[in-house]
Amino acid sequence: MASDVEKKTMLPNMENRTLMARLGLPNWDSPEGRVWVNRLRDNVPFIAITLVILLFWFISGDRFMSVRNWTFIAQQTPVLLLLAFAQLLVVTTGSIDISVGSNLGFSAYMAALGMLWFGELGFIVGIFAAMLIGVLNGAIFSLFKISSFVTTLAMLIIVRAVLVIVSDGRSIYVSDQPMSNSNITSIEAKWLLDLGQFPQILYFTVLVAVLLWIVYEKTVFGQQLKALGGNEKVLRLTGISVNWFKIQVFAAAGFMVGLASFINLARSGAATVQAGEMLELDAIAAVALGGTVLTGGYGSVLKTVVGALTLTIVANGLTIAGVPPSWSRIARGLLLIIAIAISLNRKQIDVVK
Amino acid sequence: MNSPAKPILEVNSVSKAFGGVEALRDGSLKLSPGEVLAIVGANGAGKSTLIKIIAGVLTPDRGDISIKGKSIARQDHTVGFIRQMGVEVVYQDLAIVPNMTAPYNLFLGRVPRKFGIFVDEKKMQEKTREVLAELKVETVQSLKRPISEMSGGQQQSIAIGRAIAWGKEIVILDEPTAALGPNETQQVERVINEIRKRNTATILISHNLDQVFRLADRLVVVHQGNTSKEFMRNEVTIDELVKAITTG
Ligand SMILES: Nc1ncnc2c1ncn2[C@@H]1O[C@H](COP(=O)(O)OP(=O)(O)OP(=O)(O)O)[C@@H](O)[C@H]1O
Ligand SMILES: [Mg+2]
Repeated sequence: MASDVEKKTMLPNMENRTLMARLGLPNWDSPEGRVWVNRLRDNVPFIAITLVILLFWFISGDRFMSVRNWTFIAQQTPVLLLLAFAQLLVVTTGSIDISVGSNLGFSAYMAALGMLWFGELGFIVGIFAAMLIGVLNGAIFSLFKISSFVTTLAMLIIVRAVLVIVSDGRSIYVSDQPMSNSNITSIEAKWLLDLGQFPQILYFTVLVAVLLWIVYEKTVFGQQLKALGGNEKVLRLTGISVNWFKIQVFAAAGFMVGLASFINLARSGAATVQAGEMLELDAIAAVALGGTVLTGGYGSVLKTVVGALTLTIVANGLTIAGVPPSWSRIARGLLLIIAIAISLNRKQIDVVK
Repeated sequence: MNSPAKPILEVNSVSKAFGGVEALRDGSLKLSPGEVLAIVGANGAGKSTLIKIIAGVLTPDRGDISIKGKSIARQDHTVGFIRQMGVEVVYQDLAIVPNMTAPYNLFLGRVPRKFGIFVDEKKMQEKTREVLAELKVETVQSLKRPISEMSGGQQQSIAIGRAIAWGKEIVILDEPTAALGPNETQQVERVINEIRKRNTATILISHNLDQVFRLADRLVVVHQGNTSKEFMRNEVTIDELVKAITTG
C-alpha cells in the first residue's frame, strides 16, 4: 500500500493535477464536476444551518440544544421570517425594498390605533396601512422610474418620521386585562398576546409559509415574479403591463409586512416608535442566506425559511455563548458575506455594481 | 401572383423619431397572405423600428397601419391588440426569458390558468412537446429546467414556435438566425418554409442575402429610414440588391 502511494507521488506531471483530482474528486470545471458544484451551491443554506447548529451545540451543549431554547427560537424567528418573505417577493423581481422595517413600525402602530378605534378587528387597519406603503413604493418606483433602492430608502425615512408624528413618540400597549392607569394608552386583547406565544405563533407562521409557497411556485403571479427578474424587456415586448405588475408585487410585499407587524405587535405587546428599526437589513440578509440571488429571477420560500432560521440561531447561539452584542453583529455580517460568496454563480455575472 | 390578393397588412408612410434621431422617415409596405417578405437594409436603417411599429411596441409619429383591411386606430395601437389580431414577433436579441422554462417561454404573456390563478403546467408541457415535434426540434433537456440550459438553436426554435403557434395571420422574424450556427440556421429556415404552407404571411429581417434569396418571395429595401426600393425575388440580382442597400 505504502509503496503504491509513493509511486503515485512520484508521477512526473504531478503539478498539473488539481487538488480535486488528488482527492479523487472530479475536476470542478468538468461537466461532471459542474453538476456537483451546482448541487452543492443549491444546498448551501441547508449545509450552513446544519453547521451552525452543530457548532453551537458543540460550544454550549444543552444550554443551546434544549426544548426551552428552541421554543425561544421558534418565537424569535416569525417576525423576521415574514419580513424576509416580503423581501423575497421583491428581490425575485430584481428589485429591493429597504422600507420594510419602517413599514413594520408604522403598520404595527396603525393596527394598534385601529384596535383602539374599532375594537378587535381594527388590526386590519395595520394590514391596509402596510399595503398602502407598498403600493406607494411600487407606484413611485415603476411610474417615475426611480430605482427601487432609492424609492424605498426615501420611504424608510419618511414612514418612520410619519410614525413619530402620528404617535407623538408614545407607545400603545397590549394587555390581557383592563388597565387602570390612565397615563398609558393600551388595548385589551388577550387573544393577540396569546398569538405571540408558542405554539400559536408557530402555527400561524407555518400557515403563511405554506400559502406563500403555493403562490410562489404554483400561480401565474409567482411565475411572473421570476420572469420579471429574468428579463423585463421581453415581458414588455409581449404586452404584459409591467408597471401594474410591479405595483402588485410591492402591494403583496406590503401585505407580508402587515402580517409581520401584526405578529410583532402580538409578540412584543406594544406598538412603539422604534419597532422594526434595522430589521430591513436582517430581512435582506435572511433572503440572501436563503440562497436567493439579489439580482432576481430565482428564489425559494423554503430556503428563505432556512435563511431566517439560520440568522436567528446564530444570534441566539452567540448570546448563549456569551459573545457581546457588537461582536455578534460582526459575526452575522461575515456569515452573510460568506454565504453569498458561496451561493453566487460568478460565471453568470458580468458586472457587479 | 402575390400583389392582386387582398393584402393582410398595409403600412402607410409611418415615421418615428427618437429625440432628434429620425429612425424611420417613411415606411410603407404591403403584405399578402402566405407570402414571405424580406426587409433588408444596412445597420441602423430603421428595419427594427418599422417592425416595432407594426407590432404595436411603438406608435408612429405619422402614418398608420391596417391589418386585414382594418385601419388600426391610435388608441388600439398596442401590443396586446395587435397580438389579438394574430400578429406575432420574434425580436432581435430579445426573444426569451432565460431563467424560465421552455414551456413558459412558449406561452409568454398567455400562460394558461387553472381556477383563475394557478399555472396549468400540464397543458403547457403538452403543447410544448407538440410544437417541438412539429418543428422537428429534438431536446434532451427536461422541460422543467431554465431555457438558458438549451442550445441557441433550441432557444430560438421555442421563440419562433411561440410566434407560429399564435401568429395566425403574420409572423415577423427580426434576424432570427443571426446568432445561430449552420445547422441551427437550416432548421430555422425549414420552419419558415413550414409557415408559408399554412398561408400565414411572414416578414423576415436578415442581413444574410443568400438566405433572403432562398426564402423570400419579395424584398423591401430600407435605406436611411425610407422603404426605398421593392423587388420580386426572381427579378433582381444580388449585386443590384447590394447597390440598393448601400445607396438607396
Ligand atoms: N429607442 C431608441 N432610442 C433612440 N434611438 C433609437 C432607438 N431605437 C432605434 N434608434 C435609432 O434609430 C435608428 C434605426 O434603428 P433600428 O434599430 O430600427 O435599425 P435596424 O435597421 O434594425 O438596424 P440593425 O440592422 O443594426 O438591427 C438607429 O440609428 C438607432 O440608433
Ligand atoms: Mg434591427
